[in-house]
Amino acid sequence: MAEWSQMPEDLLRLIARRLGTQFDVLRFRSVCSSWRSSVAPSPGPSRRGRSLILPNDGISDAALGFHLSKSTIFLLGVARSRDQDAPAGWLLKVKEDVRRRMNLLNPLSRSPIAPLPEDFPRVLDLMDLRLLELGHEYVLQYMSYPPCGNDGHLYLEKVVFLCSDDGNDFALLTIHVSGKLAMLKSGQKRWSVIRDMPSPYDDVILFKGEFYAVDGTGRTVLVGLDLGVTLVAESNFGGDKKFLVESVGELLLVDMYLSLDVETDHDGVVTELAENFDYITRERTVRFKVYKLDREEKVWNEVKDLGDRVLFLGDDCTFSASAADLRACKGNCIFFSDNWELEGPLKGPGIGVYDMDSGKIGPLEDYAGYSELFWPPPDWIASTTSEVQNQLEALAV
Amino acid sequence: MSSPPSASASSSPPPCPKKMITLRSSDGATFEIEETAALQSKTLENMIHENCASTLIPVPNITGEVLARVVEFCSKHAEAGVDDESLGAWDEEFVAVDHTTLFDYIRAANFLEIPTLLDLGCQTVADMIKGKTPDEIKKTFKITTACTPEEEEEVRGENQWAFE
Repeated sequence: MAEWSQMPEDLLRLIARRLGTQFDVLRFRSVCSSWRSSVAPSPGPSRRGRSLILPNDGISDAALGFHLSKSTIFLLGVARSRDQDAPAGWLLKVKEDVRRRMNLLNPLSRSPIAPLPEDFPRVLDLMDLRLLELGHEYVLQYMSYPPCGNDGHLYLEKVVFLCSDDGNDFALLTIHVSGKLAMLKSGQKRWSVIRDMPSPYDDVILFKGEFYAVDGTGRTVLVGLDLGVTLVAESNFGGDKKFLVESVGELLLVDMYLSLDVETDHDGVVTELAENFDYITRERTVRFKVYKLDREEKVWNEVKDLGDRVLFLGDDCTFSASAADLRACKGNCIFFSDNWELEGPLKGPGIGVYDMDSGKIGPLEDYAGYSELFWPPPDWIASTTSEVQNQLEALAV
Repeated sequence: MSSPPSASASSSPPPCPKKMITLRSSDGATFEIEETAALQSKTLENMIHENCASTLIPVPNITGEVLARVVEFCSKHAEAGVDDESLGAWDEEFVAVDHTTLFDYIRAANFLEIPTLLDLGCQTVADMIKGKTPDEIKKTFKITTACTPEEEEEVRGENQWAFE
């Protein structure tokens, strides 16, 4: 009989190393004593990445520095049960604050979901919920003097973060307002701007422990910690904004096509607002194309069908999931932060959905059941916590 | 043969017969394996080099049932001309087994020092753990031991989120 609790520590460690996410390591350590003691806890949020204060010299002026904050995107679901038809999962982005309280954010933008609704649980028990960690997001906030907490303005460009295994060294890569790449390594007092820029960069990503960046033409490079830049794929031109996303261990390029549009009502008549204000002429997303990397030939090859995969393009991070896990939508579609829609179910810009099968594109509200993924929280969230509250009440003397 | 190589005739010596090694499991069953396949195991490699004369190697820690499968794995991985995709598919089939067998594979791969099998086994287990709740993990692997009360307290705290 296999006694997994008796498995030697070094083998348990080999298994834990392959889990891939901090949360799965936490779960591994929650199983039994021997599993718990075989693996050290992942560096907590109170270490690197949360209360990190960084210089802003080299990329911006007039501030004391940056505060780096990290948030994590999770897909929550109920534990599988043979009897019931599993309900849709819940996609959320959480950030732990100084008092170890979780803050909720719109998964695709920076907007906090605050205040929380009255009936939202004070404490959420995760023991019987399935959690998939889908990605991390890093945001730089300007620090001013005197300190004003969350009121600091956000540095608007995307940032990616790499940390060494022991948590002692790190590196950050961002896109400078000039379109060039800029890097900061632990111990440095100044960001280094990388000169290489045939075209302004659109996106950066941490993929398999290395930094990659793509410019507006689709030209993609590997960015070394020595600031060296290596070509990974030639330009493919095409659309207006490029994103890099990881899906099932592969690096994908998503090309967003925009068209200048004037806001009209359902009958196509230019709205009164649009007549009076120039800014209503905005860029509207019309379609996407997805590409897979051919490392040998250094080209991006178009992919028409993502199968079960769903891609999410947020303002500060990209991630992917399987439709089978999400249980709310079909595969082969892309969710994106849609600046065209000024209001969505959550605070902040709306969420748009592009269906790769049909080419249909529209706001989240147009797709029955899809908004269940985001807000309001599902029923089964309330029920897990009320049990805890009942137990707490029962214990109270 | 010192004739210059010609386009049609091969000038290499005739191929030598493949050297076979016999492995004997803990329960006395014997299995034949090509030396090239056996070299996938660092343990066997060392034993082969030490006992140059004998071709029978006892493997006391592993039962016949498991050893047979390990031999199958090593032979497949030593085969020439198998592309990555087919090998990957074969590997997937190989580890589509119950958790008890997986346990045995990992123990065997560790004892025999077969990095490819150890990697495959551990990754498969990790994939079975990903996304599951602690209770689901316990059920999957039939783990009945628990944590100490102090650990339970810590576990409870780690597995919850406090909101504003």
